[in-house]
Amino acid sequence: MPYRAPNQRAVTPQNRGRFPGYDVLDEVERWDDVTAGAVLERLTPITDLSFFSKEEDAIATPLCDLLLAQDGEPKIPVVGLIDVRLALGEGDGWHYDDMPPDPQAWRESLQHLDDDALTVFRLKFAALSRDQQASIVQAVQDKSSSSESWHDKPAQQVWSLWTRYACAAFYSHPWAWNEIGFGGPAYPRGYKNRHVGGREAFEVADHADRDPVPFASRVEEARRNHAKLVESGNR
Amino acid sequence: MRHRLLGLEDVRRRNESAWLIPNDGSRDNHRLRDDMRRFPDSEEVDLVVVGAGAGGSVLTQRMARAGWKVVALDAGPFWDPDADWVSDERASHHLYWTEPRQIGGADPVPLGSNNSGRGVGGSMVHYAGYTPRFHPSDFRVATLDGVGADWPIAYEDLRPYYQTIEEELPVAGEDWPWGDPHRYPQQAHPVGGNGEVFMRGARELGIVAKVGPVAITNGRFGNRPHCIYRGFCLQGCKVNAKASPLITHIPDALAHGAEIRANSHVSRILVDDETGRVTGVVYIKDGVERRQRARVVAVAGYSIETPRLLLLSSSKRFPNGIGNEHDQVGRYLMVQGAPQTAGRFEDEVRMYKAPPPEVTSEQFYETDPRKPYKRGWSIQTVSPLPITWAEHVAAQGHWGETLREYMRDYVHWAVLGALCEFLPMPENRVTLADELDRHGLPVAHFAYSQSENDHQLVDAAQGVMEDLLRAAGASEVMTIKRYAHLVGGARMAARPEDGVVDAHQKVFGVENLFLSDGSVLPTQGSANPALTIMALAARLADRLAGPVSMVR
Repeated sequence: MPYRAPNQRAVTPQNRGRFPGYDVLDEVERWDDVTAGAVLERLTPITDLSFFSKEEDAIATPLCDLLLAQDGEPKIPVVGLIDVRLALGEGDGWHYDDMPPDPQAWRESLQHLDDDALTVFRLKFAALSRDQQASIVQAVQDKSSSSESWHDKPAQQVWSLWTRYACAAFYSHPWAWNEIGFGGPAYPRGYKNRHVGGREAFEVADHADRDPVPFASRVEEARRNHAKLVESGNR
Repeated sequence: MRHRLLGLEDVRRRNESAWLIPNDGSRDNHRLRDDMRRFPDSEEVDLVVVGAGAGGSVLTQRMARAGWKVVALDAGPFWDPDADWVSDERASHHLYWTEPRQIGGADPVPLGSNNSGRGVGGSMVHYAGYTPRFHPSDFRVATLDGVGADWPIAYEDLRPYYQTIEEELPVAGEDWPWGDPHRYPQQAHPVGGNGEVFMRGARELGIVAKVGPVAITNGRFGNRPHCIYRGFCLQGCKVNAKASPLITHIPDALAHGAEIRANSHVSRILVDDETGRVTGVVYIKDGVERRQRARVVAVAGYSIETPRLLLLSSSKRFPNGIGNEHDQVGRYLMVQGAPQTAGRFEDEVRMYKAPPPEVTSEQFYETDPRKPYKRGWSIQTVSPLPITWAEHVAAQGHWGETLREYMRDYVHWAVLGALCEFLPMPENRVTLADELDRHGLPVAHFAYSQSENDHQLVDAAQGVMEDLLRAAGASEVMTIKRYAHLVGGARMAARPEDGVVDAHQKVFGVENLFLSDGSVLPTQGSANPALTIMALAARLADRLAGPVSMVR
């Protein structure tokens, strides 16, 4: 079993989650080695970017932090994981005919965030406060919801590009699985307790007793915080 | 086990694939591959098959058994489940067709992971595993409902092939009450949390739901082990429990002298301009352009690549591409509307544990004369893993803290999907784009727009799924609109003016060129297409190998 320092156990992004103490990596010795290799590789620090330039990184990092609410450490290196994909030319096998291929669409859309920041706040995107950045990003999503174009590209397609790559990177990471209680790879072990309410011995219950706030209220609070962030940037 | 009573030995006698897999815990017979017969390019083989997926593999296996010299070329790798596949969403990207393609139209359809495979086994490597039959009505949609098209063949023509393929996969499920009522060779699997929720909601509303039909072996089948319920069906089955041609037909094809030539991208079909016959194919392997001569060519590249290849194969004789004299190639491409509805439950469902394919209802499959729309839909469990689930949540417009909060609640959600029968329309088609792939070949452009009937089906299916999940106890539901599957694009028709191939899947106007994949389907029903594609290939093989060969 691979060694892990005690403070590397049960890590969740920003130490948030509902499954205290749950660590999907505790099961790694019961995975097949090809899968274990693929998952553990995501823990390797990404020190240098290959695809994004320094200027693009300065826009992509706050963008991805906002999309996934990564407002502190420990952080999943979302931009690094996206960078690897784009550098390898690993596409999704399609692109909209009114959009360039994904790598170019990333470069152009990051540049357009800078353009918007300069127009609205007379500063580069990277120089804005977090709430100002959020207001710029929200404006793109608003255009996406109403099927408008953004810098001559369908905003919907741009929004889909960002969220698709960002979510795939974030939720491929074992720390995100710890956060959401996902059981992770299951070969050759499989799952035994598959009925509603069932758990494997290694799985941890959603800790409703520690956090008795019902789901609906939690989501409401998240919405309120999100709206506050975006609105304060608009002021 | 019902199968044992129905003559497993009969299945083994006609297709030994499951017994050719090693019995030592490894998933692939390397000896069989090492000993594979190899034909030189210069030799004219009897049949070259383009694409080793559902249609191509069955045809290859059948024709090899009939004594034909067969080479199947596939653009992707010859997979080894042990070495090449993982129990992981993100690291399964290589299973999909990720070469560039363009999508457009009013309702563009994403490709790649959603519906396009690559490598030996094709899309069935990453399909969920549902293998329903089409209903008899699917073959007569124009006659019965005045929409879509009639097939030049009837359900009865396919029925015996449905049965044989169901035995070879094998398919597990409850006795099936819909369409042409039938039984399955294996009993239904036990269901997990998501299936329980579906059954509970259906019971509350008086909707009939049945477990299956899935091509996942319930119990040992040859040397293929029982399903271990790990939930990664869509990432390639490392267990060898879920059927794909890689394990259901390719081993037997190899044992009967077929060659599977992987990593070989076919770039054009060769035509003799004098006779109008095809003489083989050009393909690119390891960066080198090569030719394989053949007496007969069968294309099985699926609904995007098959039309693309026909269009790329223009010649003096066929200036607009092969089979395209009436501008039919690429047209009538269909996808199913696949709205996906999630429901939130107080209990932990942990839907990732069981295979995503568990339970189906075909109660709404047929046209309901009381409704304003024609045709219908089916409902199935889908059980997305975290990345796909994040796409569902993000598609609601959630981002930032709200997205994270919804995602944190993953274990409480159950998810159903519908397959809505979208109608075939001529303007939904593949054409060649001006963008080039890494081989310098124009990529496919796929234009798609929905009809009014299509929109109505999706809304109705969404309503039923939301009601069902609420009836099961969901406190909140959320639906996204998406698409599933591809069929059509080179459809079967009675006359060349209406399609690309005839009732025997022979390309109109070319005596020795056949299509053996989902592109030939004139309608799609609300069924997952894999079983029908395989059944059609088995039927084509019978025609080709029969006492009076169709090939002139």
